[in-house]
Amino acid sequence: MIQTKGGVAVDDFAIVELYHRRDERAIVESDKKYGELCRCIALRLLSIWEDAEECVNDTYHAAWNRMPPDRPQALGPFLGRIIRNLSVSRWRREHAQKRYGGIEVLLSELEDCVPSPGTVEEDLERRQLALSIDTWLDSLGDEDRRLFIRRYWYGDPVKGLAAERGEGANALSQQLLRLRKGLRGFLESEGVKV
Amino acid sequence: MNAKDIFDGVTDIRDDLIGGAGETPKKRKRWGRRRWLEAVAAVLAVAILGGVFLRPGGGLTVYAIAQAEYPKMAPYPSGLFQFSDAAYSVWREDVAEQRRDLGDISPLQDFFARSTQTFLTEKPGENRVYSPLNVYMALSMLAQISGGESQGQILDLLGSGSMDELRKQASDVWNSNYRDDGALTSILASSLWLDRDVKFKQGTMDILAQDFYASAYRGKMGSDQFNRALRSWLNEQTGGFLEEQTESIELDSDTILALAATVYFKAKWHSEFLEKNTASQTFHAPSREVEADFMHQRSSQRYYWGDKFAAVSQSFEEGGAMWFLLPDEGVSPEELLADKEARDFLFAADKYEWNNQKALLVNKSIPKFDVSSQFDLGDGLKSLGVTNIFDPMVSDFTPMTTDVDVPIVISQASHAARVVIDEEGCTAAAFTVMPAAGADAPPDEEVDFVLDRPFLFCITGDSGLPLFVGVVNYPTGD
Repeated sequence: MIQTKGGVAVDDFAIVELYHRRDERAIVESDKKYGELCRCIALRLLSIWEDAEECVNDTYHAAWNRMPPDRPQALGPFLGRIIRNLSVSRWRREHAQKRYGGIEVLLSELEDCVPSPGTVEEDLERRQLALSIDTWLDSLGDEDRRLFIRRYWYGDPVKGLAAERGEGANALSQQLLRLRKGLRGFLESEGVKV
Repeated sequence: MNAKDIFDGVTDIRDDLIGGAGETPKKRKRWGRRRWLEAVAAVLAVAILGGVFLRPGGGLTVYAIAQAEYPKMAPYPSGLFQFSDAAYSVWREDVAEQRRDLGDISPLQDFFARSTQTFLTEKPGENRVYSPLNVYMALSMLAQISGGESQGQILDLLGSGSMDELRKQASDVWNSNYRDDGALTSILASSLWLDRDVKFKQGTMDILAQDFYASAYRGKMGSDQFNRALRSWLNEQTGGFLEEQTESIELDSDTILALAATVYFKAKWHSEFLEKNTASQTFHAPSREVEADFMHQRSSQRYYWGDKFAAVSQSFEEGGAMWFLLPDEGVSPEELLADKEARDFLFAADKYEWNNQKALLVNKSIPKFDVSSQFDLGDGLKSLGVTNIFDPMVSDFTPMTTDVDVPIVISQASHAARVVIDEEGCTAAAFTVMPAAGADAPPDEEVDFVLDRPFLFCITGDSGLPLFVGVVNYPTGD
């Protein structure tokens, strides 16, 4: 029995179960619980809200196709990953015609994290890179870790993060730059292997 | 390796890292855009339909014989909150509960298109505002209280196969558009005002309350008290926005019933127009040039076009949007309404599916305006095939009253509406005039969208249905 009224959130397990039972309420419950998260991420990446809305719909469609067999423990990150992937695919496909400001800014910042040529295998597998980033994030203090993820996973704007922390945007940008360079140094020093 | 690889690597970091950074982005607003500016759009409309016959007088009080109960909605959480907060979940639940699957709405769209063309083109060159949903609700109620061919003509116009079908649809339309949560106000309110001597059928009144969310009141028709009560109800339902128009509303003692329907819609822009960018600019009205305050905004968004128009939308914060249609040079808004392609766009269920569109940087220049109009729907309804309710020889209101020996007709069908969009402040900003849109595709990167000549607008609620459609010939009033 799924009970959502009165602020009792449906747990992820129950929603995932709905997907596995091919019950269309899965989409409704996903949207209730994570719709805002998905829309925020998509909008921050794509900047065009109609496209973001389409991307959210595509996300649920993709989730429907992936469950089963997938059975994610945490649905938020699962849906968030899908929407990030769909957004970046859309950017790759259409950025010649469309201006996806958010994603372009993030990618431009993440250029700072790219290791110098020759230090890392060009065809580094995505999963292994993620594990390396996990390790690096684990080595950070709480504040730095949260800041990096909020900016580069959730796509929170710098101004918003600065206001939340009571800092100036310039100071926060400097902190983010330091973190990006830190990640690059880590990837280089690790000599990440495929 | 490139930045995209890093982006992908970040995408795949562990769940606990993602969750630990803050489950969701912390923002007060859904899209996380505006936080402080009170940009407000408020519109409303009212339709009064009156039935008349001779009757004896008497009586003093006004009392309700059926009361509509509106859904109770949880308030939109105030202040900063997390999307995972319980108050936010409850609010989202309530919003979701109001949504209805409207099924095939093509007959409705046909009614919207035909009636809009009829009512908005009666007086070319003037400001004109029409609420398709408001008139739809009023006509639906009329269908409920009428019978025989009187009812049949209304069903035909609304594209409904039966009264059962219309009742269900009207209820769904009403619920889909209802929002009263502090973030967005969108209320379709209706009421029936009966003379105290009318022998009404309680069952019909109960249906009106239950399916049409309409209250029914009874009192001495023509008395000051009854007129005051009606005006007070209208002003209350419309947030006082139509006080100028309601002042003149008076039902005389010959009236036996009046039907009032209102729409009140108030919403904040999703992305505010910055006050510092507002500047005075010339608007090329039909008979003269007028100075108006133009709001300016530059944003990445979709730009739509057809053979004779270009269009953009401006979203509201918690659902719905306002659409602006700029006719090509030399085409009036009234002529544009006669263009099938423009009407198809105006009433498309999903404009985002429109073929001619492109995501661009759009420099919008939109005049602040306050436009209102008041007109009688009678002739227009007759031209649309609804004639019997105006003719005492054939009108049939037997479902509403047991007074079958006296002919009842609709004596007036007044529709008033007002739309206001604005923000505050004023400084200079310069924008060039948009090139003629026409059938040509817009430029590749960036386009100016300057509403400095008569244009059309359409306001859609959360349901996507047209709450208001209007022609702006004079943004500062006639």
